[in-house]
Amino acid sequence: MTSVLLLAGGCGTGAQSSASATDATISLWTRDTQKEFINLVADAWNESHDTKVEVTLVPAADFIQKLATSATSGNAPDVASIDLVYLPYFASTGTLEDITELADDLPYKDSLSPSHRALATYNERTYALPFSGEASVLIYNKSLFKAAGLDPEKPPKNYAEIISAANKISDLGPDIHGFAIAGQCGGCNVFEFTPHVWASGGEVLSEDGSQARFDSQEVTDALTFYRRLYTDGTMPAQSRTDNGTHQPAVFQTGRVGMVPLGAFYTQVLKQDSDVDFGVAPLPGKNGGWSSFAGGDEIAVMKNGENKKGARDFVTWATGEQAQKVLADNSITPVRNDLTDEIYVPLDPRNKLFAEAMEKGRTPYSTVEHQLFNDPNGPWIQMINKAVFGGDIAAAQKEGQEAAQAIIDRAPQGTNARGNR
Amino acid sequence: MTPPTGLGRGAAPRRTPARAGVRLAGAALTAPALAMIAVFFYVPLVTMLWMTLHDWPLLGERRFVGLRNYRDALDDVAFRNAVLFTFEYTLISTPVLLVLALALALLVRRSGHAARFFQGLYFMPVVIGLAAGSFLWLFLFQSDIGPVSHLADRLGLTSRNTDWFADKTSALLVVIAMVTWKVVGLQMLLLLAGLQAIPAEVEEAARVDGANKWQTLRHITLPLLRPTLALVLVFSVAGSLLAFDQFFIMTSGGPTNSTITAVYEIYRTSFIQFKLGLGATFSALLMIVLVLVSALQLYLLRSSEPGSEP
Repeated sequence: MTSVLLLAGGCGTGAQSSASATDATISLWTRDTQKEFINLVADAWNESHDTKVEVTLVPAADFIQKLATSATSGNAPDVASIDLVYLPYFASTGTLEDITELADDLPYKDSLSPSHRALATYNERTYALPFSGEASVLIYNKSLFKAAGLDPEKPPKNYAEIISAANKISDLGPDIHGFAIAGQCGGCNVFEFTPHVWASGGEVLSEDGSQARFDSQEVTDALTFYRRLYTDGTMPAQSRTDNGTHQPAVFQTGRVGMVPLGAFYTQVLKQDSDVDFGVAPLPGKNGGWSSFAGGDEIAVMKNGENKKGARDFVTWATGEQAQKVLADNSITPVRNDLTDEIYVPLDPRNKLFAEAMEKGRTPYSTVEHQLFNDPNGPWIQMINKAVFGGDIAAAQKEGQEAAQAIIDRAPQGTNARGNR
Repeated sequence: MTPPTGLGRGAAPRRTPARAGVRLAGAALTAPALAMIAVFFYVPLVTMLWMTLHDWPLLGERRFVGLRNYRDALDDVAFRNAVLFTFEYTLISTPVLLVLALALALLVRRSGHAARFFQGLYFMPVVIGLAAGSFLWLFLFQSDIGPVSHLADRLGLTSRNTDWFADKTSALLVVIAMVTWKVVGLQMLLLLAGLQAIPAEVEEAARVDGANKWQTLRHITLPLLRPTLALVLVFSVAGSLLAFDQFFIMTSGGPTNSTITAVYEIYRTSFIQFKLGLGATFSALLMIVLVLVSALQLYLLRSSEPGSEP
């Protein structure tokens, strides 16, 4: 079996190296959820370069498994666009090329999204460049706000105001709901729920990722806030079992007042619905705000064949031409020095996303997937049990123990250079 | 397979060239199948057993740990819960499937166009993939948008926005209903073949002796059908113990991880937690359970076969 694979790999190499260096292709893997813009980015590169980028879309749910398998079997792509939360894991396993010097030489390196830079660093070395941004905010239906007697230009600024607004909107009718969450989607809730904790001054993980903080008071407050939204009857029944598909769909029908979602969703709303929506920051218990700084980073794979092409491409992807393609497609750029010029003027609502990328945070852990994104993992189980079951203290205790057990088995690394 | 009597070991070299040719042809004809079985069954099986002896992450260094994975597997609460749930699911779905399949087989046994039509109708879901069927039923039972929710609302059973998947019992019932719809046709067909193999004279004789329909079924048809029933039972139980797709798609293991099956936990351990060694160990343990359960059933089949009784 192994020899067959090696043979196939060998043939591939032969075919590639027989072409002249400038004709070589650069293979790029990304999640299928990026298909809206990734091909446009590739087209922009292909028009201005002799080498050609070939995009492969991998189903989002299988992306890290497929990329990890390809890295072990020697069929890795040259470049991978990876959800930033998985960077510490891939960096810790030696799958990604160390591109510290390349990153340090970028003239605009200090203007790149701070969260992306932190997540791409493992034990003082850099393994990826920021590529696309994604911030979480509160998206609300202005028409429902008006109908409920609320000021659509004054979105809620703390937990109490959200609860009050959600109740007023729910009172509009049996099919109208104030607030919708995706109660069985871990990835959704690290994106949508943690900003409330951060905005209140709390943490979900310690700075270096070595301690879980699922049992902190700020998490209790945020869970109590969601629990209240549920017991007041402001959430649709599906929120409890939603794996992430229902929440955006139901907001689009115009029957939900508020959803915590991201920039990607405003593009969908603009294209496919008539909902008049506003965007507001996700607040803390008594005010303040925070956001999850998400998106993708772009990495050179250690086992890729075209390293030179890969390095050129990842550098270009942080440049103005590529970032403008993102901005034109309602994707938040990762260049703070460019956002005022290429992104904010396109839509007044973009200003908040740009600010959120600078202010936003991201949990740093080599086991982020097991802790947060796993639909059966400790984070989402804690939220689901607390919000829909009601025993918040027990859910937090169980979640904290399960999370800490996962962390204790995992390799540790640091996100900041020299900050051990 | 059995050599003719009188041909001992020493007789083999004296075989005629024609016989040797037949043997060679036989070996050549079975070689591709043997190669396939070796590549797709024995190699993965040995690889899996090799993996169970290692700390084997999806990426990174693997380490030989001896039997530690087996000790961890037996101590693993999540896996134990998953196995218990799998047994629960198997214990509920198996009798439902078997009784319904038998009832349908008896219904479509008679001749005529109507029976053929219903036979086709009951069989139809079998040709749909399990994943496709799961998605279909997931939509049917969605609150607010699913047709079943609307129907239940109209009939005054539940409200239109009842979330069927928010409660373990109702979620399990919906999944079992889907699986029944999906596989009962195949079991019906197997039982129908068994029924048709029963000579008509035997049942006629029973009727002549004054047995009514129920007595004929209980004392004549069912005992003669036992080999087929046992075959269907082995298939059904093995299928239920290996359940994954339906729960992965319809419940995502929820609510609160209460519908995670053994295979689901193997998937999670291997591809969510990236612990391939422990995942392989769970697989090996599940394989042992499957072999034991199937052997037990086959033993019961053997002892109930006509003629084998003392």
